[in-house]
Amino acid sequence: MSFVFQQPNLPPLVELAISWFVFLFGATGPIVIILAFVGIRGFLHITRFESGEGILYRLSPLTKLVIVISITVAVSLTIWWFGAILTLVFWLLFFTLNEAKRKVLYVSYLLLSSILGVSTGFAFYTPYSVLQMAFNTNTLNVVWVWPSYFTFAGYEPYLTLQALYYGLQITFRFTAPMLAGLLLVLTTTPSDLMRYLAKVKFPLPFIFALTVAMRTVPRIFDILDTVVKLQLMRGLGYGKPAFLRPFYVLIAALYGLVPTLIFLMKGAKYTAIAADTRAFNSTPRRTYMKEVKYTRADYVAWGLILALYVSVALLLTFGYGRGIPYVGY
Amino acid sequence: MGFNGIGGYINQPGEIPVEVVIAYFVFALAIAIALGKRNGGLKAFKTVDWVYIGIGAAAAYVWEFIIGAIIGRAVPSGLSNFISVGFLGRMFIVFVVVALVRKIGAGMITLFLFDFFSDLFHYGFSGEPMYFIYESLTYGLFVDLGIAITGGKVFGVGVTGSRSKTIALAAIEGGIIGLLWAIPDPIFYGAFFKPFLYGGVVNWSRIIYDLISFIPGDVVIGILGGLAANRVEKAVQV
Repeated sequence: MSFVFQQPNLPPLVELAISWFVFLFGATGPIVIILAFVGIRGFLHITRFESGEGILYRLSPLTKLVIVISITVAVSLTIWWFGAILTLVFWLLFFTLNEAKRKVLYVSYLLLSSILGVSTGFAFYTPYSVLQMAFNTNTLNVVWVWPSYFTFAGYEPYLTLQALYYGLQITFRFTAPMLAGLLLVLTTTPSDLMRYLAKVKFPLPFIFALTVAMRTVPRIFDILDTVVKLQLMRGLGYGKPAFLRPFYVLIAALYGLVPTLIFLMKGAKYTAIAADTRAFNSTPRRTYMKEVKYTRADYVAWGLILALYVSVALLLTFGYGRGIPYVGY
Repeated sequence: MGFNGIGGYINQPGEIPVEVVIAYFVFALAIAIALGKRNGGLKAFKTVDWVYIGIGAAAAYVWEFIIGAIIGRAVPSGLSNFISVGFLGRMFIVFVVVALVRKIGAGMITLFLFDFFSDLFHYGFSGEPMYFIYESLTYGLFVDLGIAITGGKVFGVGVTGSRSKTIALAAIEGGIIGLLWAIPDPIFYGAFFKPFLYGGVVNWSRIIYDLISFIPGDVVIGILGGLAANRVEKAVQV
C-alpha cells in the first residue's frame, strides 16, 4: 500500500496543537452541540407528540411505520448519496410540522451532532485494509499525520482523505432512518399507533407496552429536567465558570437517573389501574370507537413508497448499489 | 444481495458455523417456551407488569442512545471496551425492570421491546429480525433463567431472612448475570452475526480481547444493578 502525503506544511508546534484540538473536538464536539444547543428540553420537543395540521399528521401510523422501514431498506442497499438525498427530504418534512421553526432547529443540531460524531467515529479508527477494500485502491491520500502516541487511543497513524469519505458516507446510513423515526413519533399519538398495530394483529399486550414506552420517552426528559434543575438549585456547580455548565448538567443527569426511574415506576400502578378499569386485556380482542381509516394522503404515500422501491431497483440495476461495505469499524 | 441489510454470509473466515448458532437458538427457544409454559405464559403478566416493561424499554432506549451515547464520547477510546456506558446502563435498567416484574419472560420481552424501540427511533429496522432473535434469546434469556432458577425471587426480592443475606444474594445474582451478559456481544455478534450481516473476516484475537475486557465492567455493573434493582423494588412497592 502506498501513501501520498498531502498534509499542509506547518510548524511542528502548530501541527501538534491542531492534532490535540481535533482529538478533543472529535471527542467532545458532538457532546457540546447536544448539551449546549439541544439540551434536555430540546429532546422533549423532538420526541413528544403535538397535534397539528400538516400532511404527516393526516397519514395513518401504519403508513408512517412502513415509510421508516422502507427508508432503512433503501439506504442500506443503495449508494451513499441516495441516503443523503433522503436525509434532506426528511429534514425538509420537519418544516410541515406544527411549531416547525423550533423543531427544525433542534433536529438540525441533532443531525449536525450525529454527522460529526459518526463520521469522526469512523474516520479516525477505520483500518487501512478496510479503506483499501472499500475504495478498491492501493493508494491512500494522507491529509494529516497524527502524533505517533495517538495510536494508543486507537487512532490510525494517518488521517486519509479516503477515511474522511468513508466516515461521511457511513453517516448517511443512519441519518435518514433516524429522521423518519422521529417524524413518526412526533406526528402520531400512542393510541393511534395502538389501533393500527392491533389491526395488523400485533399482540395487544405488546402494543400496550409499546404505547407506554412511547409516552414515557418525553416524560423521562421532562422528569430528568426537573431533577437536574433541582440539583443545580441546591448548589451543584455553583460559582464554577459558565463554560463548565454543560458538564455539570451531565453530572446532574447521571445522579438523577435512579430517582427518575423510581418516580416513573411508582406511577406505573396508576397507569395499570387506569387501563384495568377500562377492561384492558379482559378479552383477547377489543373494540374501538374510532374506526381505522386510510385517507387519500395514505394512498399518495403508498405510491411514493412504491416509487422509492422502483428507484432502489433502478439504482441497483445501474450499478449504484451499496458501494462501501459497512463492516462496523 | 441480502434482505434488509442482512448479507447472509456464512462460511466467512473464522465465522462460527451456522449449524452451531442455529442449534443454540433452537435450544434457547425451547428453554424459553418450556419455562414460559411452566409459569403460565404471557397470561401470567398483569397490566402493571406491561407498564413496567414499557417504561423500562423507554428508559433503556433513552440511556443507550442519548445520555449514554453522550457520556460515552468522553470515555477514552482505549477504555471504551472496559466501560461501555450505553450497554452497561441498559443492563442496569433491565435488572430493575426484572426485579419489579419477576416473571419468566420479563427479560426477553423487555429486550424485544427495547430493540423495537431502538429501531423506531434510531436504526430504522435495519438487520431485523436478526436483532430481535439475537438479543431476546441471549441477554433476555439469561435474565429469565435467573428468575427461573431463583423461583421468581431474583436479586433477593421476596427472600426471607436477614438483610445481609438479601444483599449478598442480590450482588451475587447480579454479578453472575452480568458475567453472562459479557458473552453474547463478542461470541454471537462478533463471531457470527456481524460477518453474517455484513461479511468480512472474523478476528478471533479481537474477540478474545473483547470478551476478557467486557467481563470486569459487566460484573461490577451487574453487582451494582442487582443491588439497585433490590432497592428500587422496595422503593416502588412502598
